[in-house]
Amino acid sequence: MQALVLAAALVTLTTLPAAAQIGNSAGAAPATPQQAPGQPAPHYPNTQDRLFIQLAGSGGTAEENGARLAEKKAHDAAVKDFARRLAQDHAKSNQQLASLAKAANVPLPENVGPDHAAQTAELEKLNGAAFDVAYLRQQLLEHQKTVVLLQWEMSQGQDAALQRQAMESLPVVLEHLQIAQAIFARLTGAGPQGLAASSPSPATKAETDRSRLRSAR
Amino acid sequence: MSIRNAAFLIGLLVAATVSAYAADPLPPDATYRPLPTLPFSAVKANDEAQKPKVMQRHSSMLNERYDLSNRPSDVMMSGGRKPVQDGVRVKLPSGVTWDSLARMTPEEIKERRLLPEGFKPLPHVKQLTGGQVFPNRQIDEIAGQEQRNLRRFDVEFDLPDHLTPEFPPPIFLTTQPELGDVSRGQLLTIRNYYEILNGLVTPVQMEGLRMLLTPFPQEEFNQTEDRKVAEASLGVTCLDCHANFHTNGAFHLTPDVRPQAKRFRLDTVSLRGMFNQRIHGSKRSLRSVEDFTQFEQRTAYFNGDHVSAQRKGVNRPDRVDHVPMMAQMQNIVDFPPAPKLDAFKRLDPTKATASELAGEKVFMGKGRCAECHIPQESFLDHQMHDLKLERFYRVGQTVNDFVFMPDGPIKTLTLRGIKDSPPYLHDGRLPTLADTVEFFNLVLGLKLTQKEKEQLLAYLLTL
Repeated sequence: MQALVLAAALVTLTTLPAAAQIGNSAGAAPATPQQAPGQPAPHYPNTQDRLFIQLAGSGGTAEENGARLAEKKAHDAAVKDFARRLAQDHAKSNQQLASLAKAANVPLPENVGPDHAAQTAELEKLNGAAFDVAYLRQQLLEHQKTVVLLQWEMSQGQDAALQRQAMESLPVVLEHLQIAQAIFARLTGAGPQGLAASSPSPATKAETDRSRLRSAR
Repeated sequence: MSIRNAAFLIGLLVAATVSAYAADPLPPDATYRPLPTLPFSAVKANDEAQKPKVMQRHSSMLNERYDLSNRPSDVMMSGGRKPVQDGVRVKLPSGVTWDSLARMTPEEIKERRLLPEGFKPLPHVKQLTGGQVFPNRQIDEIAGQEQRNLRRFDVEFDLPDHLTPEFPPPIFLTTQPELGDVSRGQLLTIRNYYEILNGLVTPVQMEGLRMLLTPFPQEEFNQTEDRKVAEASLGVTCLDCHANFHTNGAFHLTPDVRPQAKRFRLDTVSLRGMFNQRIHGSKRSLRSVEDFTQFEQRTAYFNGDHVSAQRKGVNRPDRVDHVPMMAQMQNIVDFPPAPKLDAFKRLDPTKATASELAGEKVFMGKGRCAECHIPQESFLDHQMHDLKLERFYRVGQTVNDFVFMPDGPIKTLTLRGIKDSPPYLHDGRLPTLADTVEFFNLVLGLKLTQKEKEQLLAYLLTL
């Protein structure tokens, strides 16, 4: 997994010019200092950057907490593995977000917000296979929303470092989503959806094979 | 029922009921166009300052993907104004040939990152702004005839002229098959359409054409501060992209997708042969040209955002009169002549060469082309299909601010007159027909020989 992340980062780095996004200037914050004509100076956030830090901050923290809970409570081995991977990946990206937020002088949110608190409350009531399914269902939704949120930051933000962070996280989040889709398909007996259906990676193919074996029995 | 299954089912029920709590939606400008935060003069200054870097970045990407040189074949487009370009232009990654690629599985190609860059989705010249971008010949002609400015201050058209359709395109009418090209070598505009077509069309067709040539406000060309043209503009016309009912290669972003970063590029499609097409729009499957005409002022013009459209002064052609008349005109535009095809759209053996006949055999057989491009149905099947190109590349990578996601199902496009409308595929990622043969050979796993590819190409040039 680390190799994948590194490889993905390397590929994007080689195709990146020195500056990252070239957005629509009409959305820039007024009076942003420019490092070159038409290019905002680093670490000056516009409104969307600030909101992104709030949303990604609370979401990332909730992900890390949820993953640690699932590492303990998950019933199925693949779900435990998935949770372990999430805990690692989100710990790292939460650190990166925190340092970018500090550089941009935007405070991180103080709590995970009512939506995530409600999700945790739901999970704490459940055990065994029921926990696994509920946790994966939540993860599917969270990762779907994050895929859109990252692209939204790339489109509407002006802080190049934040946008680059969003851009580099996107393939990793899609990989998480794909794994969640594959495991969810196996646990519920439904066919795989999304990327797990159209272009399974080696990791998710293992899940699909397990599903096929199970239904053939 | 085992205890495990019972617990599982209870969990599903609990999950289903408890997840009915209200949650915050994502930010509104993930779907809706935000209002500008800066004055127009500041935006214009910033855009103009960014423009050299934007064009440089885009042009490097194009040169990495394609051989853009001018290599005319001896086949001319239907108006006789421009030669069809020769050769495969998509560049191969080092260490592979088309044959060695064809022997690999999609998984292997994805794993080893060997899908040619030119086969991947093609970015817009400035993805995060997007919008309609016109080729220079269209800009110059409209400026000359109408004194209306189609030049944006933030971007320019990106493809070299020799890789675009002939300009102005010829016009063939189903109601005037004896006359041939009725364009007189001119671009139809609001200034000359009446003189050129009076006597050749009916009053309702003439009125429809007038509407198709009248400028109306559009996202980048309008009278508000949220525009990309220097002066407040009357807008754009339908035929500003669909020049002479064909295409001039102008492009924009699909209005049917969000978020912005993954909206794919759309190359203007030809309007020839609309009379035989049952679905319109590459992703929208509109069922009549009337529906398309009626709604395009909120989709192509305004990115599918009726809110922004309302603010900028969208034109809403009336469904009872204007829309049918515009459709009346569009429905008499014919494909260019294909003298080697018989009434069943099959090659006449007395007129076709051996190579072309062999190519037709590939088209109908090993190439599997005819399964979607049905000759008797104007090489259409009135369906949308998903080629699932994401089997071959990792989704989620970003090039020039454009995120490569799966394209999903796209409408089958006609092959009649196909030599007249480079570049190819819905986004124009394939510069020549030779590129399309290599693309489908790989994506459909056909394993065509070099000879079969050449024969197929010869056949495609007869359509």
